[in-house]
Amino acid sequence: MSGQKITIEYNDRVVRQFLLATVIWGAVGMLVGVLIAAQLNFWQLNFATPWLTFGRLRPLHTNAVIFAFVGNMMFAGVYYSTQRLVKARLASDFLSALHFWGWQFIIVCAAVTLPLGLTRGKEYAELIWPINLMVVLIWVVFAVNFFWTLARRREPALYVAIWFYISTIVTIAMLYIVNHLSIPTSLLHSYPVFSGVQDALVQWWYGHNAVAFFLTTPILGIMYYFLPKAAERPVYSYRLSVVHFWSLVFVYIWAGPHHLLNTALPGWLQNLGMTFSLMLWAPSWGGMLNGLLTLRGAWHKLRTDPVLKFYAAAVTFYGMSTFEGPLLSIKSVNALAHYTDWIIGHVHAGTLGWNGFMAAGMIYWLLPRLWNKPLYSTALANLHFWIGTVGILLYVAAMWTSGITQGLMLNATTEHGTVLAYPNFLDTLNTIRPMMLMRVIGGGLYLAGWFLLVYNFYRTVKGAAPVNGTIEVYDEAPAPDAKLSLAGTFFSAPTVFWFLAVGFGSMWMFGTDLVSTAGIVGAVACLIAAFALVPSRSKAWGGWYEKLLLNALPFTLLVFFAVVAGGLIQIIPTVLVQKAKNVEDRIQTPYTPLELAGRDIYIREGCYLCHSQMIRTLVPDILRYGDYSRLGESIYDHPFQWGSKRTGPDLARVGVKYPNVWHLRHMEDPRAISPGSNMPTYPWLLNHSYNASVLPAKIKVQRMLGVPYGPLTAQQIFDSMDEQAKGIAKDLRTAGAYVDSDKEIVALISYLQTLGKSLPVITKSAPR
Amino acid sequence: MFKRLILEDSSVWYVITAFVTAATIFLTITWRALRMPRTEVEKFAQLPFTTDANERHDPHA
Repeated sequence: MSGQKITIEYNDRVVRQFLLATVIWGAVGMLVGVLIAAQLNFWQLNFATPWLTFGRLRPLHTNAVIFAFVGNMMFAGVYYSTQRLVKARLASDFLSALHFWGWQFIIVCAAVTLPLGLTRGKEYAELIWPINLMVVLIWVVFAVNFFWTLARRREPALYVAIWFYISTIVTIAMLYIVNHLSIPTSLLHSYPVFSGVQDALVQWWYGHNAVAFFLTTPILGIMYYFLPKAAERPVYSYRLSVVHFWSLVFVYIWAGPHHLLNTALPGWLQNLGMTFSLMLWAPSWGGMLNGLLTLRGAWHKLRTDPVLKFYAAAVTFYGMSTFEGPLLSIKSVNALAHYTDWIIGHVHAGTLGWNGFMAAGMIYWLLPRLWNKPLYSTALANLHFWIGTVGILLYVAAMWTSGITQGLMLNATTEHGTVLAYPNFLDTLNTIRPMMLMRVIGGGLYLAGWFLLVYNFYRTVKGAAPVNGTIEVYDEAPAPDAKLSLAGTFFSAPTVFWFLAVGFGSMWMFGTDLVSTAGIVGAVACLIAAFALVPSRSKAWGGWYEKLLLNALPFTLLVFFAVVAGGLIQIIPTVLVQKAKNVEDRIQTPYTPLELAGRDIYIREGCYLCHSQMIRTLVPDILRYGDYSRLGESIYDHPFQWGSKRTGPDLARVGVKYPNVWHLRHMEDPRAISPGSNMPTYPWLLNHSYNASVLPAKIKVQRMLGVPYGPLTAQQIFDSMDEQAKGIAKDLRTAGAYVDSDKEIVALISYLQTLGKSLPVITKSAPR
Repeated sequence: MFKRLILEDSSVWYVITAFVTAATIFLTITWRALRMPRTEVEKFAQLPFTTDANERHDPHA
C-alpha cells in the first residue's frame, strides 16, 4: 500500500442539520395535508379566510412535502453516504452551511408567499420567480459541493448510489430551469414563457420527472447505501443495480405526456408517453426486487428491527406504486382514473409509503450514529411503523375506492351512450364523502406516527453529544490508466455512435422528404457499422465503459445527454409547431385587460387545483361539459390551466353558461347555488378591489410572449377595464346584486364568462 | 416540415422507434452488466462496508 496514512473527519454536522429539518418540515407538510383533506369534507375549515383556503394551502402542502421534507431528507442521506462511499470529507464547510441555510430560507419564503396567493399557477412549480432564482443558486451550491467532493475522493470506484445522486443533480437542474422560464411583470409576479399545449407538455415533463428525479432516484441511491448497511449484507445483485440505473435514466424522462392522455396534446406525444410509461415497469420492478432480495437471510431481523421494517415496507410500496403508475398510463385506464382521487391515492402510496418510510428508516438508523447514543425507544419506533402502515392502507384504499367510484359515475351513460347517468356533478361528490373522511383518518394516523418519531428523536438527542465519524485512509492518487479525458469520452466509438443515431433518428422523424430519407439511411448505416465493429472492438469499448465508471465528470455529462435527449425530442417540435399561426379548427381570442386581471385572481386562489379546463376527447366529457377542447383554444394561456384534478366540474366552456349573478352568488356562498358543494366561500372577492395599475406591465409581457395585443396605452387599458367592469356591475345590479365595478369578483366573473369563447380558424386551403 | 406531426399519420413509428431504442439500450446495458467480472462486482457491492472496519466516531465534534 503506497501513500500516506491520514485521518479524515466527516462533516456530519450538516447531516444532523438536514435530518432535524426533515423531521420538522415533515411534520409541517403532513399537518397541512391533513388539514386540506379535512377541508374537502368540512368546508367550514376554510374559515372564510384567504390564506387558509384549500386553493392556497394545497400548494403549501405539496411544496412542503416534496422540497422541504423529502428535499432535506435527500440532502442528509446524500451527504452522509457520499462522504463514506468516496472516503472524503465534504469539500467545503462553507458551501455545506450555505446549502443548508439557503434551503431553509427558501422553504420559509415559500411558506409565507404561497398562503398569500403569490403563485405561478403551475403545480409543484408555484414559487414566484425570485424564489426560483434562489432555488437555482442553492442547487448549484449543492452541485459544486458534491462534485468537488467527488473530485477529492480517495475511492476511485463510483458506487451505484453515487450514480443515482449524479442523475438527480443534473436532471433536476435541467427540469427546474426549463419549467420556470418566465418573464417578470413585477417583483412578485411573472408569466411563464410557454403557453397552452407547450406549457402543458413542459409542465408535465417537469412534474413527472420531479417525481422521478427528486422523489425516486435520490431515494434509490439512499436505498442502495442504507439498506445493505441496515441488513448488514451487500446488495442482492450489483449487476441488476447497474441495469436498474441506466434503464431508469433513459426511460423515465420520456414518460411525462402520460399526464395529458385524451387531451388536446398531439396524439404522437400521448402514445410516446404511454409506451415509455409501460416500459418503466421493468426497471422499477428490477430495483424493487433488488431491494427486497437484499434482505435475503435477514428477514428474521424484521421482527425486532424497526429500521428494516420501514425499509422493507418502503421498497414494497415503491413496487406497488411503480406498478400502478404504468397501469394508469394506459389510455383506457387513464380515461377512468384521470382527474379522480385514484391519482391522489397513487401519489400517496409513493410519497407516504416509499419516501416517508425510507425517511423514517434512515432517521432511525442515523440517530444513534450521529449522536452516539442508542435510540430512545425501539418500541415507539415499532409503534410508528404500525400506525403509519395502517394510515397508508386506509388512505390508499379510500382513494382507490373514491377514484374508481368517481370515474365510473362521471363516465356512466344510458340510452346507448347518449345521456349521462349522473348529470349532476354533486351526485359523485356526495357519494365519495365517506371515502374522503376515511382519507382524513388515514392521513391523521400517519401524522400521529410521525409525531412519535419527533418525540423519539427529541428524547434520543436530548443530552447527547453530537459526533462526527472519522476514518483512517491511505492518501493515494488514482492510477493513471484509469483516467478518462473529456476528449476520450466524446470521441470514443460508443459516444459517437450514440450521437449519430440520435441525429439521424431526429432527421428521419422530423425532416422533410430528402432529409427524412437521409435520416433513415444514416440510422441504418450507423446500426450496421456499430454491430459490424462489435466483434473486433467490444473489448476496447468495454474498457471505455469501465473507465467511465471511475470518472465522475464524463459520467455526469453522459447522464445529462441521456436525459436531455428525451426532453428535447418531445419539447422542441411542440414549441416550434404548436403556435397560433399553425393552429387549425379553433383559436383562442386574447383576454381583455379585465379578463386577464380576473384570470390572475383565478390563479391566485388556486382554482386550477379543483377545476380543470380541458374537455377530453371522451364521450362522457363531451356530454357533460360540451365540445372537446381544441389545442388552439388555450394557445395564449400563460400559464395553461388544464388542471389535473376535478374536485369540481370542468370549466373549459363555463362562459355564458350561467348569468353573471350566478357566479357572484356562487363565489359568495357556493351552497346557496349548489347544495352539498364543498367549495370554500370567497367573501373577500366582493370587498377587495382589483389592482388595475399592474395591467399595463402584464399586457406588455404578454405581448412580448406573442399574445396579439395591439399597441394599447396605459390609459386605454384602464378605460377598457372600467367600461367592461361597469357593464358587468350594471348587469349584476339589474339582477339584484349590488357590487362596485372595481371589485375583484367583477374581474373574476369577466374571466369565467369568457371561458370557451374562441374563433374558427379560416384557412385558404386545407393542410397537406 | 411539421405537418406530419399535426396530422399524426406517422405517430405509430414514434412508438416503435421509441421501443426499439429503449430496448437496445436496455439490452446493451444488461449485456455489459452480465459481462462484469465477478471480482469487480463483489468489489463494488462491498463499497458501503469498506469504511466500517476503521470508522469511529469523534465525540469532540
